[in-house]
Amino acid sequence: MLLGIFISCRLVMKVKFLFILLLLCSLGLQAQNKVLPVLLSPVFGNQKLNVGTDWYHIARADSIQIQVLKFYVSKLRLLDKGKVVWQEENSFHLVDVENSTSLKWNLLIPPTITFSQISFELGIDSITNVSGALGGDLDPTKGMYWTWQNGYINFKLEGLASSSSANKNEFQFHLGGYQYPFLACKTIILDQINEDGFVIEIDLKKVLVQADLNKENHIMSPSIEAVKWSHWVQKSFSIIPK
Amino acid sequence: MKKRIFFILLVFITIFAFRFRSEPIFVAPKNWPKSSYDFKKNPLTPNKILLGRALFYDPILSKNNTISCASCHSQYTAFTHVDHALSHGIGDSIGMRNSLALMNLAWHTNFMWDGSVNHLDMQALAPINHPSEMGENIKNVVAKLQHSHLYPALFYQAFNDSVINGERLLKSISQFMLTLISSNSKYDSVMRGKGKFTSQEERGYLLFKKNCNTCHTEPLFTNLQFENNGLIVDPFLKDYGRFRVSQNPQDSFKFKVPTLRNIEFSYPYMHDGRFKKISEVLNHYVSQKSKVSTLAKELSEPFVLSSNEKVDLTAFLLTLTDKHFLFNPSYSYPREVFFGRANGK
Repeated sequence: MLLGIFISCRLVMKVKFLFILLLLCSLGLQAQNKVLPVLLSPVFGNQKLNVGTDWYHIARADSIQIQVLKFYVSKLRLLDKGKVVWQEENSFHLVDVENSTSLKWNLLIPPTITFSQISFELGIDSITNVSGALGGDLDPTKGMYWTWQNGYINFKLEGLASSSSANKNEFQFHLGGYQYPFLACKTIILDQINEDGFVIEIDLKKVLVQADLNKENHIMSPSIEAVKWSHWVQKSFSIIPK
Repeated sequence: MKKRIFFILLVFITIFAFRFRSEPIFVAPKNWPKSSYDFKKNPLTPNKILLGRALFYDPILSKNNTISCASCHSQYTAFTHVDHALSHGIGDSIGMRNSLALMNLAWHTNFMWDGSVNHLDMQALAPINHPSEMGENIKNVVAKLQHSHLYPALFYQAFNDSVINGERLLKSISQFMLTLISSNSKYDSVMRGKGKFTSQEERGYLLFKKNCNTCHTEPLFTNLQFENNGLIVDPFLKDYGRFRVSQNPQDSFKFKVPTLRNIEFSYPYMHDGRFKKISEVLNHYVSQKSKVSTLAKELSEPFVLSSNEKVDLTAFLLTLTDKHFLFNPSYSYPREVFFGRANGK
């Protein structure tokens, strides 16, 4: 009888020990998350994008200067053969071309996963848009929130263009909208990413070459035009091949 | 054994103490529908409410420090303004619409006459930014608060650190606005079985239920929807209401149904403040409306009300006056915050 109790006690102790060991191992593994560096590279065609200084040209002999480029990236996910293997928690990034730290993400991912695609939303989803006051990159002090008609501005592009018929040749595109039929948030999926890090390029030439800045040089509210422009912006992201 | 009993007792006392401590500040009146605001994301605390109340009454929110929320939302007039058909802001600028009365906001899911604001937290941003209201931007407001002598301490009391940002600012204003509950009118006491309508008020209540209750639904006295009540568009303002937000022609001329609570004090009426008296409002509803496709179907035929019935209906509407709300000291200018410290109190 006593021996039985003794053995079972020892067994319980052993199981406990093993359990603690496993827990520590799993904690250790978690702590060893690896860093996946992702760089964002805004360009204009084959030129680096310098805001407020450089002039760029497109086919119609238009001279263009970019002054503001800010946009939200949310719901970062990594995929393997179309299946989500990792998703970032509380995933909201305000990218501002003038803030170099916002152009580099160090994603903390488990070392064991394999993946070949990244997906993200260009903008802020509808539910977040109606969730009240939020902090961090979503704080309304960041200048990416419409006050007269609530909602986040997903993408902000401002500058000068010789073809723009607006005052001082300006153009301003504030793209947003979270309600049907003006949903402007777009999903972007990019293939062939490197598991050790990669560079995402956003080429504004691909966007502006489609526009006629003489006729359309500002968008300031959710509209069918904002949806059209968001689609153009969606197509301007690509992975720089190694 | 004694030790164990003592330990169990201690646990019970602790649980009880915590239960007592977490007694909710926001208490919905009995038999009211469920409120819409998500209090889990912004739990009310006395210090946050006080901070929000200070911000509500402080003109620091405006560009030239002259206009506060209370400028257009005065407590004694049911948190709206009187004497002005349209709201007015910095430099005597005139806005486009009549300011709405603020009460029972936890039950609302969208705000403003056209629903352009989608959450109570974001409401304050609209007047802060509007060039004819406060003409300021929230980034500047945060910077001004950070440099003030008053607010770092108030934020510290509210949030346990003195960080001031947009999220905290907006949520604090929400905290105060959420406490503005009007549920102690004569109507309410009758509904609770603690009061009695006069026979005139009773007749008015029956007329109300027959003619008005579909849109001005009890107990909030609004169905929280957007309706076209047949007002002819003001040729100067050219205000098409909710259409401006949704761009949907079916929303043309629709405006949010306002509450009728405290209607005695919330004049002038309608989105452009065109009616100064309740009698003018009733005359509008008994007159023929132009047949616009978005007109509320309840108004396709004018109400039939005799002059005696109009008086009865008005008598009922006056039972919606809530003096407890209009003169509640916990909603008033927080003198103790703005002057208490300066006087060393």
